[in-house]
Amino acid sequence: MPNLTFLSVVHRLDENHVALSFQFFNKTRANILENPRAQVLVVSPETSEQYRLDLHYLRTETEGPSFERMNTRLDAVASQSGMSNVFKLRGVDIFEVLDCRPVSSELRAEAARKADYLPALDSFTERLSLSGDLDSLLSAALEALSSLFGCPHSFVLFSDEEGKRLYTAASHGFEPSGVGSEVPIGEGMLGVAAERHASVRTTNLTREMILTRAVRAAIERRGEQALLETEIPLPGLPNTQSQLVLPLLVRDSLQGVLCLQDQTPGRFLTTDERVLQIAARHLAAAMSNIRLPVSAFRKVALTRKGAFSKRSSVVKHYKSDDSIFIDDAYLIKGIPGRLLWKLLAAFVGTGRIAFTNKEIRLDAALRLPDIKDNLETRLILLRRRLDERCEFMRLVHAGRGQLHLEVRCKLTLEDLP
Amino acid sequence: MKRPKTPISITAELKDFLESGVSVVVGTCDSACVPEAVRAWGPRVGRDGRSVSLCVALATSGRALSNLRDNGRVAVTFCLPTNYKTIQLKGRYVGTERPKGQDLAAVERHRDSFLASAARVGVDRRLIEGLWQMELVESAVMLKIRFVAEQAFDQTPGPDAGAQL
Repeated sequence: MPNLTFLSVVHRLDENHVALSFQFFNKTRANILENPRAQVLVVSPETSEQYRLDLHYLRTETEGPSFERMNTRLDAVASQSGMSNVFKLRGVDIFEVLDCRPVSSELRAEAARKADYLPALDSFTERLSLSGDLDSLLSAALEALSSLFGCPHSFVLFSDEEGKRLYTAASHGFEPSGVGSEVPIGEGMLGVAAERHASVRTTNLTREMILTRAVRAAIERRGEQALLETEIPLPGLPNTQSQLVLPLLVRDSLQGVLCLQDQTPGRFLTTDERVLQIAARHLAAAMSNIRLPVSAFRKVALTRKGAFSKRSSVVKHYKSDDSIFIDDAYLIKGIPGRLLWKLLAAFVGTGRIAFTNKEIRLDAALRLPDIKDNLETRLILLRRRLDERCEFMRLVHAGRGQLHLEVRCKLTLEDLP
Repeated sequence: MKRPKTPISITAELKDFLESGVSVVVGTCDSACVPEAVRAWGPRVGRDGRSVSLCVALATSGRALSNLRDNGRVAVTFCLPTNYKTIQLKGRYVGTERPKGQDLAAVERHRDSFLASAARVGVDRRLIEGLWQMELVESAVMLKIRFVAEQAFDQTPGPDAGAQL
């Protein structure tokens, strides 16, 4: 008797092999072990063409690259949907593809289109090489992903020094920008990609979430709610259908992740993943190559730019978590909060507006983690948060390791517990 | 597996589900257990509450029809895209005939409701419309398949997939 079931993903391994996930012991599983012949019906998301793949079951792998790849992807979706304890990959069933037949014989199975990505990669690496500092590098990279690769919605998250959280440092095509938002490493699709140092690609998030909710409902019916965790919202675009999360690695050390989102299903296919992986590796290398010239401390006399507003503002600093509130509106917390407080205290106390990266880095009172690249990422975050949230205060990158604080109103500082 | 001799009775609730905006695929196999699947449209539960009919494009179902005539074993899966609720009916092939007006009307209704449920989960309507246009690219002829359901299974993904109803 035939048995027929719906699958969410068929992984193409090479020209003659596909992999299917094995998550639950069930009838389908028993059947395949008894009779190795199977067929999958797949639909092209672009042309609606259907193909029949005649398969022969070869083996089940419980480790190795195919297993790890599928496992990361599954864990990422499971974590996002609060199902880490339920969605466990038991194995990857490897099938030999005996035949690939179009359902309508009028159609002919064609090799996947080979788009020429070389010009885009060429321009991408060229644009990155022109950036002299991390801030402009990130802006150039995200803009280039949009204009060269047609990925208008992207963001970069950096890893904090404890390796516990990712925080958004730059974004493109989002309103509001989301800069400053955080994701715990190990949680959700972004967190799992960061933890495993592996890319995570989703082609139809709505369908994937419906599938996991169906399993969730089955778990609840069995009275096993204790296994379930809370579903966590995905950061970024509403109605994201396609998502590609690429780890930014240098010598296998995590710098952060690059996340691309799209509202069209099937936007990121295997080839896109490969090409964008190259772009991400180049970005990570460029990030680590940027070393700000540490110039000697120089006092620079500066004229205040912009009109000085007559209004005044109250800036509050809460010591417990170094959060900063401007006129009772939250701005930032943690290390960037501590940094800003230090600069503002110097500004209000002495009128100083020029600072160097080196003095900040060496300032014991700031208790900066001992990783020098992180200062720059914190400053970028702080700069972008100020640009987005504050009309009268800016941090300006003044070149040669210098930083200028521009304040266009009278400030009152309140240091609170 | 020993085949039960008595057909099951399809409840009104199950009938409503089978005739809703579900994705329908017919599974068959030859005498050597080599499977062949084909997408089907316009499922209708007969007045007897036991037989089910559905339509397939003749041009896309050659091997499946040959398997059905050869051994009569059939499994049909109905999956609702909006929540992945899935039912599989297994049973005995009864025969094929040319679809009548009411069968083709059921095909039209089914396509409309499948289109609507797929659209609710973000699938572009052109993709779904393309599905049946591609099936009819060689020939517009559709064939009605009738079978009697003998077993029903809950095939919704998860730990209980495959449980008999």
